[in-house]
Amino acid sequence: MSLVTESPVHSSSSDDFAAYLDASLDSGSSEEAEDANDDLETQRIKRCKVEKSENVEEVQGSTSQTSSLKQTVEASVEKDLCTHPGSFGDMCILCGQRLAEESGVTFGYIHKGLRLQNDEITRLRNTDMKNLLRHKKLCLVLDLDHTLLNSTQLMHMTSEEEYLKAQTDSLKDVSKGSLFMLDFMHMMTKLRPFVRTFLKEASEMFEMYIYTMGDRAYALEMAKLLDPQREYFSDRVISRDDGTHRHQKGLDVVLGQESAVLILDDTENAWTKHKDNLILMERYHFFASSCHQFGFSCKSLSELKSDESETDGALATILKVLKQIHNMFFDVLEDNLVDRDVREVLKTIRKETLKGCKIVFSRVFPTKFPADNHHLWRMAENLGATCATELDSSVTHVVSTDGATEKSRWAVKQNKFLVHTGWLEAANYLWQKQPEENFPVNQTKSQ
Amino acid sequence: MFFHIVLERNMQLHPRHFGRNLRENLVSKLMKDVEGTCSGRHGFVVAITGIENIGKGLIRDGTGFVTFPVKYQCVVFRPFKGEILEAVVTMVNKMGFFAEAGPVQIFVSNHLIPDDMEFQIGDMPNYTTSDGSVKIQKDSEVRLKIIGTRVDATEIFCIGTIKDDFLGVINDPSAG
Repeated sequence: MSLVTESPVHSSSSDDFAAYLDASLDSGSSEEAEDANDDLETQRIKRCKVEKSENVEEVQGSTSQTSSLKQTVEASVEKDLCTHPGSFGDMCILCGQRLAEESGVTFGYIHKGLRLQNDEITRLRNTDMKNLLRHKKLCLVLDLDHTLLNSTQLMHMTSEEEYLKAQTDSLKDVSKGSLFMLDFMHMMTKLRPFVRTFLKEASEMFEMYIYTMGDRAYALEMAKLLDPQREYFSDRVISRDDGTHRHQKGLDVVLGQESAVLILDDTENAWTKHKDNLILMERYHFFASSCHQFGFSCKSLSELKSDESETDGALATILKVLKQIHNMFFDVLEDNLVDRDVREVLKTIRKETLKGCKIVFSRVFPTKFPADNHHLWRMAENLGATCATELDSSVTHVVSTDGATEKSRWAVKQNKFLVHTGWLEAANYLWQKQPEENFPVNQTKSQ
Repeated sequence: MFFHIVLERNMQLHPRHFGRNLRENLVSKLMKDVEGTCSGRHGFVVAITGIENIGKGLIRDGTGFVTFPVKYQCVVFRPFKGEILEAVVTMVNKMGFFAEAGPVQIFVSNHLIPDDMEFQIGDMPNYTTSDGSVKIQKDSEVRLKIIGTRVDATEIFCIGTIKDDFLGVINDPSAG
């Protein structure tokens, strides 16, 4: 039978097929010779055609049924092959297909409606890493409040701070000022001294992100103050709205390899998963409300009409540390660039701080508390000191809260350093062994 | 693609607009309501070009508002899968770039950028060929092909590609 041999699926020309179809339709269903298989084929094509004409939104509907059939087959194969690495407005960024379920990590801070799958994030991080290393850069994630600046609600300002309202800098040229009144947000913001120099110098060594627990509008407003030319952060401003966990910050939304990211933040608890990347900052409290919030009853910097030192403040100190880390990462280490881990570098440099010190604690931990689990003990060890529970001649420092304890008296007698716990904390913030005489232990009770 | 079509809408008008200028009020309200909106079926309403016919008003019980069925001609813009479109790049990052063609936001993933173009970081992030002859950065004009569309109530999203013949940069702002 000639019809069977010229089966439509084998026919390459659609015109041939249309002619064939017309002919077979004209001859009607009375044509008994038609193969059952072929009949089925025709029915399927007919159904397909009806669907096509109903689909008004589709414009590129082909006139030829065979090719449209082939297209659907091809399309379904393509669908199966595409891994949907991410989505934009619920469409796959690779094949353009509409995706039903929302999966992956949202990157709303880059563009609304953008989501990426973990595999794609890993791929991007890897390519990006090479790019960054070629430019001798690492990633730096910066917190806003208490790290780079301090903000307060206008209604929370004390009477002693009223004078500040007359001293605010113009919002027209923010690149010079440091104290800004943001009336529309009912806020006043003070940038930390040295922040401009800090950002400028850090931008040469790092690709910088802002990551704040504030909301999006606030984060963008602060980014405008810190970076009016948009040269440091561009679209890398992450707010709490973009995070994947509540009350937590995570590097999952940061497109940088974890082994190349440093974090600057004043809150250790926000980064439970990434403590190794974290450089803890001493909090910057300029406004009185910020002091009260953290339970300090002393006068704030604003009330004392003073400020952190520009050349000697926390940011200047940290910038030196960052330079040291950057230098060590790129110039001192000699193994393969891709295998280097900034967390190890951070650890090594931190360990230099109190190298050679042997510390015994006195009246710091509760008696039953496992000593080597206490945060001060671990802090001391991270700083490179050795900790011990028993006194011996190799001990160099006794850290105590009370001058009257046996260990404290031993330290005085043996001419060892007797210091307050603040000495450890200061060394932790400043990355340098502090002069012991600045942290005396209260001796009154021993007399 | 642009279309010039006739649409219909029931307009609710407050009684204070009744009077000599009723027609003008109705038209200006229609423009305010319709221009710049999206519908999934027709796309983005660019402009109203004329009023075809205003039907008989119907007074709503209780409120005094009157509903007029208005037929109007308008220009709509709707992107289609497979369509070639010219767009302006708004943002370039390591994931690809975003471009705009009027109200339409298009994302071109770096998978769909030719393999010889590589991402460069810097003040002006861009995709550049190895010989530096072609560069895609913010404000570049590109010709791209739409491979997926989604029309929301207020926005149109598209996925595009420039990995095909005759697609890519058509005007480089840094060169001009």
